[in-house]
This record gives sequence, structure tokens and C-alpha cells, in this order.
Amino acid sequence: MARLANLETEYPVLDSTVRNFCASHGIFSAAFAEQNNSSERLKEGIAQVLSVIDDMHQPWLNGMELLEDAKRNKHVFPTGIQGIDLLLGGGIRVGQLTELVGPSSSGKTQVCLRTASNVARNHMVLYLDTGNSFSPQRIAYFLGKTINPSSAQAKNQFLQKVMSNISCHSVFDIFAMFDVLHQLESYLRCQDGRGGCQMRLLIVDSISSLISPVLGSSSTQGRALMTSAGYLLKKLAHQHNLAVLIINHTVGGEGGYSKPALGDSWKCIPHSRLFLSCDRGSNNYNVSILRHPSMASGKAARFVI
Amino acid sequence: MGSHAKAWLVEDESAREMLDRVLTERPFLLLPPLHRVPLRVGNVVELVGPSSSSKTHILIQAAITCILPKLWKGVSYGGLGHSAMFIDLDCRFDVLRFSELLNHRIMEAANGSSSKVGCHQKDSEAQFERMKPYHEELFALCMKRFLYIRCYDSSEFLRLSRTLHYRLQKEREVHGVNVHLLLIDSIGAFHWVDRGSSSFPLECDNRKSWHLQNVSEAVVQEIRRLLLVHPMLVMATKAVVLGNKYSTNELTWNYRKCSAVDNPYSRNITSSDQQLPYREYMPAAWQSFVTHRILVRATDDDLVNGEHQNNSIYLLKWLLPPLNSLDKFTVRDTGVFILS
Repeated sequence: MARLANLETEYPVLDSTVRNFCASHGIFSAAFAEQNNSSERLKEGIAQVLSVIDDMHQPWLNGMELLEDAKRNKHVFPTGIQGIDLLLGGGIRVGQLTELVGPSSSGKTQVCLRTASNVARNHMVLYLDTGNSFSPQRIAYFLGKTINPSSAQAKNQFLQKVMSNISCHSVFDIFAMFDVLHQLESYLRCQDGRGGCQMRLLIVDSISSLISPVLGSSSTQGRALMTSAGYLLKKLAHQHNLAVLIINHTVGGEGGYSKPALGDSWKCIPHSRLFLSCDRGSNNYNVSILRHPSMASGKAARFVI
Repeated sequence: MGSHAKAWLVEDESAREMLDRVLTERPFLLLPPLHRVPLRVGNVVELVGPSSSSKTHILIQAAITCILPKLWKGVSYGGLGHSAMFIDLDCRFDVLRFSELLNHRIMEAANGSSSKVGCHQKDSEAQFERMKPYHEELFALCMKRFLYIRCYDSSEFLRLSRTLHYRLQKEREVHGVNVHLLLIDSIGAFHWVDRGSSSFPLECDNRKSWHLQNVSEAVVQEIRRLLLVHPMLVMATKAVVLGNKYSTNELTWNYRKCSAVDNPYSRNITSSDQQLPYREYMPAAWQSFVTHRILVRATDDDLVNGEHQNNSIYLLKWLLPPLNSLDKFTVRDTGVFILS
């Protein structure tokens, strides 16, 4: 919070009279201004201080403005996998966190790689890899399947262009992830508004391996870290128009069925949660909705990769 | 002097007149599924439940009821015609879904009135096309009455609560709208973060160190002050974890027992249900601020609609004021419908 003395250059009404008055009431910074009826000048000063605080944080949006922002910026990116796109009504949405949950080898990383290859054609992608599961060969394979057979050189150029849109960072603990995300935030703050290739997809593979080590049942620090990570991702998604894809594992639950890891406090963080599973010995996968902002949970579909 | 004293003693209005005035200016709200207890401005309602138990949906339907007009171009929409403010601490609000629900409610009210006239299918389609610009105008009018802001941590929320009065004042002067409903999605959203970051001393010495209790007390104080000047109904959701022993079976057992033993001597059976089935984690400042409390949860049953849609059934229980009944309701695009 700015000290009132520093604000005087910008707002000349906050001269020494107002500051003395504020000091007599124990107000040293903009956060503690209160209403008082003593004099016009003071009233002006107080009103000015309040409007300074007002401008400092996000403005109110009414419904129409929110809707316009959603229609203009919050598009839907198809994952490239037909079954999932049909189920989700188009694909994953910008501004929302989509979580993929499933036991081992249920196709979660494959879905992420496929989505990355799809989005990277036109936008930049950031892939945070915690278990060395990023595979450029697989991305090249997915891209190779979909482009028209033309000269080898054109194909090569196309591959180069798309691959250069994907940046992959290895993070092995949660503090490294916070580091990368804060750097990303400053980078995006400069990038936004400039034309050209914008970053539109952030993949975290997998967040459970970053959070589970710090999440003990007795300490509160682990849950605090988990919640802050979730809010940082939501902030990036909403303010910088990113679609965020997170991978989570499963743990055993009551009655022998598996449930998503990270517990009940994590349930409130992602916007959508999809449960993936694989039919043994085949390429057929199942996806079902655990949670979605506009669709009933329980809807399921099958897909192949 | 004598005349002043006498003037002081003359009555302003009778009790009946006062009741009439208060009931028109501050009507009771009966929002399904909270229809058992009428709510008024100044009440603070807390919707408690585990994740995915339709708490946010109930808030959204309340907001839509608030922003729809009572009567518009001859069609009755049954709303209040006031503004609603939504403070999103969960940051999961989906505006596209909100606009869908608003559209559904507008269509339903419009169709409801036209079906009373008794038009045929073709007529109603033509009328639908004619009514489209009206619906869009009404839609824009309602959306402008919905005010939204999100906070990413508790210091932002605290700053917001301090400037709410100033903003509402500005809103009233500029747009002439009165905010009637304050919705907070997930009041306990920053609980873990606040607990984890206890007392970080900041630059100045005279700055209090903020941790869980302080933040809660400060926010409650600001909202209380706000309610004195801008009387509103406050509705907040809170995500909790229901204890293991209170699984679905237990709750349905209680429900069956309640309905079976329908006599005045059932008091001693229900008194054991008074212990809360979840662990309360909000500080005492917030707990004492709340005037009404409701517990919602999803059941495993589905309501088969006849079409391919399966809507989940939810259970609702009034904890404060404690009522013996358990309501079942289901959630659809056109609103919340009570089943029993």
C-alpha cells in the first residue's frame, strides 16, 4: 500500500493538511482511510484516497462485459481426439483448469501430447514435465499423421515451426514450479497485447507428483502450498487467457475403487475433471466426466489415440 | 420548547402502516430450495456442503431471480428487479453457463405466459421469432444488473471489503441501481492459505500482522458496516468435508425415520442429530455472523427424466434454524425443483 506522502505528487489534494489529519487518526497508508465529515478539503482528500485504492485492484465487471470477454478471449481448443472433443462440446476451454485423472497407463500423457501438438500449430505451449514423460518423437508422430503428404522439405519446415512453439521445462518439486510460473507471469504481462504467436496452453504433467511429497496429513503448509498453486494457475488462466491441463493420479479409496489423489481440498480447484481409463490390451480408452461447469457428471465416451 | 416536545410524541404511522411499508420495501424472499424459511435483507445465509453439491448453482439461481424484473412488457418474470453482486473467491464462475441459465428462465417465463393464451405450435414459433429482440433486450438489461468480481487471495478480499461501500455508493449514483443480494462463492476458499501463512510481519511496525482470525474478523466487521448502510441479503457457500460416519446410508436412514415417526414425541429422536455432521473450520467471528445455515449434499440416486437426461437428486437440511425435515430437490436448466 502506498504511503500517502508518496501519493502527493500524483494527487495534489493530498497535501500536508490531509496527511496531518490522517496521521492524527493513525492512517499512514492508503489502506486505512475512513469516512469523516470535518471539512470539504478533507472530504475530497479521503474520496481521492478511496478512489486510488479502488483503481489499484480489479474493476467490477457486469454480466455483459464478462460475457463479451468470454466470447472474445475464452475460446475452446480441440484436443484432436474425437471422443474427448465430442464429450466436452468442442474441447478444453481457455481460462479454465481441466484435470485429467486416471490410474497409471491410462493415456493421460498421450492426451496431453496430442493436445499440445494440436494447439502448437498456431499458438505457443508450455509443458511442465515432472517425470520425463515429454516425448518430441510422439509429437512429431501426431503431427505427421495429420499433414498432407507434400515435399519432405515442406514437411520438415512445418514440423520445425510447430515444435518450436512448444517449450518444455522439467520441474521436480513444487518450488521450482512456482518459480517457473512466476517467470511465466512476468513474461505474459509483457507479451499480452502484442501481436504474433501468443501462449495459449499450459500443461502440468503431473501435479500430483509435485504436491504429494509436501502434503502430509498433519501439516497445514502442504495444503497451503497446494491451494496457492491452484490459485496461481487459475489466475494465469483467467488473466492471460491460457487453457490449463493438469494431470493427477489416483489413490485407493473406500470400497476398493480408486479416487483422485490430493484429497478433498483439491476438489474445489479445477473447473473440469475427467477420469480416464484404458481397456486392457487394446488402444481403446474411456473417459468420463467427474465434474464440468455445464455438463452433468457421469457422462462417458470412448476414444482411441 | 413545549411544541417541540409535543411534536416528538405525535405518532408517525401505525403498526399496520409500518408493516405494509416494510413488506413492500423489503419483501420476503422465498427462493427454492430455500423455501421453508422466508429470507429478508440483513440475513446472512450459509450454504454448506461437500464439493459438487450444487451450492454454486443455488447461488446463481438466486442471482437470476434477483436480476429478473417482476413484470416486463406484459410478461411476468417473477423476479425482484434489483442488482446482485457476486464475489468469486473460488474463481470458477462460468459466465457462459450463467447466460444459458438466464436465457432458459426468460424463455420459460415467456413461454409460460404464451401457453396460457393457448396458441398453436406454428403460432408459438412465429411468436418466438417476434419475441427474440425483446428477449435480447431483456437479457442485456438483466446482465447489466449482475456485478462480478474475483479475488485470488485473502488480502485482495480484505481490500475489496473495505472499498465495497464506496463502490456501491458510486454504482447507486451513476447507474441508479440498488444492490439487493450479495453472493460470496466459497467463504472458506483461503482458509488453508491463511492458516499456513501465519503472521508475516510487513514493513511498518504499526501494521497488524494478518492471519486467519484477524482477516475473518476484519471482513465480518466491514460487511456488517456495509449492511447498515446498504441493506442486502448475504448468501455464502462453504465447502466442507462430511464425516465418514455420516455417509449416504445414514442420512437416508434418518430421513426415513423422520417421515415414519410423525408424532409430537419424535423430539428425543431428532435431538441427537443436532451435532454437526461436518467439521466447522471458519473462525468464530464468521460463525456468529451467520443467521441461517443449510446443508446440501448429493445423493447417489438419479432422477430419470424420460428423456436421456439424468438429473442428480440432492438433499437439503436446515441447520439454522434447525428444522426436522429433509428436502429433496433436483437441478435443471430452468431452475431448482423440489421433489418432496
